[in-house]
Amino acid sequence: MIIPRLALRNLLGAGLRTWLNVIVLSFSFVLIIWLQGLYKGMGDQARVAQTDAEFGGGQYWQENYDPFDPLALQDAHSSVPESLQTLIENKQAAAILISQATIYPEGRLHTILMKGIDPAQSVVTLPTQFLDQEGEELPALIGTRMARNTGLKVGDTVTVRWRDSQGTFDARDAKIVQIMKTSVPSVDLAQMWVPLDKMQSLTRMKNEASLVILAQGTEEFPQVSGWIHKDMKFLLKDIDYLVKTKSVGGSIIYTILLCLAMLAIFNTQVLSIFRRRKEMGTLMAMGMTRSKIIQLFTLEGAMHSVLAALVAAIYGIPLLAWSAKTGWAMPEAADDYGIAGIGEALIPVYGTGLVVGTVVLVLLVTTIVSFLPTRKIAKLKPTDALRGKMT
Amino acid sequence: MKKTISVFSLLVLMTATAMTQAPPSGEDILKRVDANIGSDNKIATAEMIIHGRRGSRSIKSKSWIYGIEKSYTEYLAPAREAGTKMLKLEEQLWTYIPSTDRTIKISGHMLRQSVMGSDLSYEDMMEDPELLNLYNANIIEESTFLERPCWILELTAKVEDISYHSRKIWVDKERYVSLKEERFARSGKLLKVFEVKEVRSIQNRWVPVHMVFKDALKSGKGTEYFIESIEFNADIPEALFTKASLR
Amino acid sequence: MIKFIIKGILRDRSRSLIPILVVIFGVFLTVLFYCYMKGAVNGFIDTGAKFDSGHVKIMSRAYDENSDQIPNDLAYIGAEQLISELKQEFPGFVWTKRIRFGGLLDVPDEAGETRAQGPVAGMALDLFTEDSLEWELLGIEDSIVRGKAPESPGEILISDEFADSLEIALGETATLISATMYGSMAAANFTVVGTVHFGISALDRGAMVADVKDIQMALDMEDAAGEILGFFENFVYREEEAGLAALKFNAKYEGDDDEFVPVMKSLHQQGGMVEMLDMINMYMPVMVTVFVIIMSIVLWNAGLIGSLRRYGEIGVRLAMGESKGHLYRSMIAESLILGCIGTVLGTAFALVIAFWLQEKGFNISQLMQSATLLINDVIRAKITPFAFVIGFIPGLLANVLGSSIAGIGIYRRKTAQLMKELEV
Repeated sequence: MIIPRLALRNLLGAGLRTWLNVIVLSFSFVLIIWLQGLYKGMGDQARVAQTDAEFGGGQYWQENYDPFDPLALQDAHSSVPESLQTLIENKQAAAILISQATIYPEGRLHTILMKGIDPAQSVVTLPTQFLDQEGEELPALIGTRMARNTGLKVGDTVTVRWRDSQGTFDARDAKIVQIMKTSVPSVDLAQMWVPLDKMQSLTRMKNEASLVILAQGTEEFPQVSGWIHKDMKFLLKDIDYLVKTKSVGGSIIYTILLCLAMLAIFNTQVLSIFRRRKEMGTLMAMGMTRSKIIQLFTLEGAMHSVLAALVAAIYGIPLLAWSAKTGWAMPEAADDYGIAGIGEALIPVYGTGLVVGTVVLVLLVTTIVSFLPTRKIAKLKPTDALRGKMT
Repeated sequence: MKKTISVFSLLVLMTATAMTQAPPSGEDILKRVDANIGSDNKIATAEMIIHGRRGSRSIKSKSWIYGIEKSYTEYLAPAREAGTKMLKLEEQLWTYIPSTDRTIKISGHMLRQSVMGSDLSYEDMMEDPELLNLYNANIIEESTFLERPCWILELTAKVEDISYHSRKIWVDKERYVSLKEERFARSGKLLKVFEVKEVRSIQNRWVPVHMVFKDALKSGKGTEYFIESIEFNADIPEALFTKASLR
Repeated sequence: MIKFIIKGILRDRSRSLIPILVVIFGVFLTVLFYCYMKGAVNGFIDTGAKFDSGHVKIMSRAYDENSDQIPNDLAYIGAEQLISELKQEFPGFVWTKRIRFGGLLDVPDEAGETRAQGPVAGMALDLFTEDSLEWELLGIEDSIVRGKAPESPGEILISDEFADSLEIALGETATLISATMYGSMAAANFTVVGTVHFGISALDRGAMVADVKDIQMALDMEDAAGEILGFFENFVYREEEAGLAALKFNAKYEGDDDEFVPVMKSLHQQGGMVEMLDMINMYMPVMVTVFVIIMSIVLWNAGLIGSLRRYGEIGVRLAMGESKGHLYRSMIAESLILGCIGTVLGTAFALVIAFWLQEKGFNISQLMQSATLLINDVIRAKITPFAFVIGFIPGLLANVLGSSIAGIGIYRRKTAQLMKELEV
């Protein structure tokens, strides 16, 4: 026990120099965690955005529904089963009805998906409240990409043509009531959102849906015959894959920051071993073995990171917490569309694994880096050391 | 191909023999029109001109029509389409594309595709030519079209699974040829327009020989259709209407 | 004096080597970090650029207006001529033509009847011309799961999952059923020679990669291309240059009302990518600034320590009658020289590596053994003029600042005390 105590006393005794290093190291701690959190947040952003806007807490698909096969859509709808209907009535879920349709902005034909959604739903973050409008025309909500591709603006009217459940053509004028900005192309590109009940009656698919989105946090997924539950793991498969691939890039930043911290420690170690030869000599003269001395000096170096972790905790925790709470707002977010609440602030995400992992890693690397210069001690002769000589 | 077939039916339909005068009901008129399509065999060559954004294209074809149920069409021009064949056997439609040496069944969603880029879909061509099977008819107006006195009939679907919920057709009062047709969505929105530009007497029947089809929602000039020659009561071997004959 | 200092630095390893190494390493990290961050912008947009937008993309005006519909009927006709003109006019770019198409892939049985069928999203690439970019661009060969890459016309790749669902074996024929650019039904036979993995469900469910000439023939698109993509020669996107190229190109067609004249759009001007780019452009400078500040503290600290350790020497020099001012100046000059050498070397090392990363890139997906056609993650760096000077902030400024603060001690300490510290 003498070595750790001695190491700590030496360290604290060195005063300013120790604290300078500790502060630099603590910066690295906080920065690594913050940048990694930010990086993870960036990765999570797509996931969060897509979950909020599209996936909710999982989905039930009508058995024929296949988002990648538009040709199958004409058979992909059926009555919402009772168990799901109860959830929908309790605002725990939202039904979506999807049908292929054609719109004719300025006489040009665009094939789209018409998607019916309850204007009062709160399961996904789409600004569906704008669809709650009375009138002859069919209120329609589209995204900015769709608006750009079709040239449609708020207030424009466009003819939509579709086939109802019997295959009979129907067509209406739809009025664009809102254009939403979203970072999720799959609720935007080539599609038009309309009120569910209107769409159900127009397509003669009363109470029918193609899929049901569950509210986030839903925990029970009962079997529903004719409907297939799709869990988040399935829905987020693509994003997870992408994040996994991209996270390699993140570790590069991590590594560079770690190197930065180690640079400071290494520098200090080299200096202290150079300056404290006499001390080493004295310790040897008093009977301490070389390996003990190496332990002492290594421990001193490694303790920098312990102190740094403490210091980092003092100012870092409130700072990181504040950052996680407010996020990093994007200035252009305050635009005309800012409704969907997607992609407007970058929220860093710090996992326990990230924090613990960072501390352990820094500790480990600091120890190694502290140890490296001490190897010189092994060759030290006590007599030379006492005289302040380093061979 | 099949389109030709249907066009045929249509045209035959319009081909009314100039029958009686009469103050008939809508249903009677439709019956007459349907009857005029005739269930005899026909051989016809036709040209389709498709007006697109890139200019116009001409497609020539020859069709053998057996009653109202079977038909066989071979494309003659342009070179790229030459040799492509299409066979309609009642509800089924097959196409043969020489470059792949494959016979492909056109079904499901493919039926909704446009035929050769025209304003008509395979489905339009596949529908039952006897409108009376599908619609109730009422005379709503009398008018003149192509300088011919016409009844305007309003057709309302009597079956559920039908593409167009209602139609209006202009029927020549003397010849029982339909000269113009409008097809509507359930909401009453006009979707497609079909107009005869010229009617000629061939083998004692009135045959529309120049027609225009147009998607009413889309800008553009639509698709023109010309009958270059037509032979009624033709002698056609039944063996033609088998998948084997496509190759 | 400078000569003297340099001599000192060279001869006294203990006072030069470690501090210089520290500066070199610190500067190296800073410059590399900066270049990496700059290059990371490309990493984010790489996939999109390669698969969809290019660094610039040329389409017919009408195609552009309806590009979400993949309107091959509006494709640009005269692609060959246009590409040869582009080569002349924009020598910094390389060009490749592509056709995207949709349809059904139909597998026949022995009698030629449909055995299996599925909707397919297709991409036609220039695979067989001599200067084809696509192999390198998309890393096609690395992403093959089964079979081989197409070697001759008529051979295609399809997604692995799709091959499973069609139950098609390698070497079997599949018929693409689609529409020609004039709207007629089109069909063409292909041989499936290999399968790939995309890493994106939509494509893994049903996608095919074919040669552009085959597809031109199949879809009656002679000398037509849906899209002509242009890339900077080293595949590093430069926003401004791309924008200027687009301006220059489009100026030629200004006032021409024909809806089929070509129009060039830079990656930035195309939908979808802009939000991402803006976001990165916002965060990046902040990250770099924070990093430089931290590194400056480290090197300032290094400078400080470097001077502190020499209090003994300072004592001797003061004792020998050197004036405090002279001593102080010589120490600063020394750290200035050290900083300069370190910064120059550190920057040089970093730039060498950054240059390699910029030109060659480092392909992580090979390490991960999960190479996909779509997500080929290549780490790239990008050298900008600022990369040459950014190292001087921590390397020189911070280092010198550190020594000058430490040096202030010279004025405060008494000679006797310094001598005592010397204690030789």
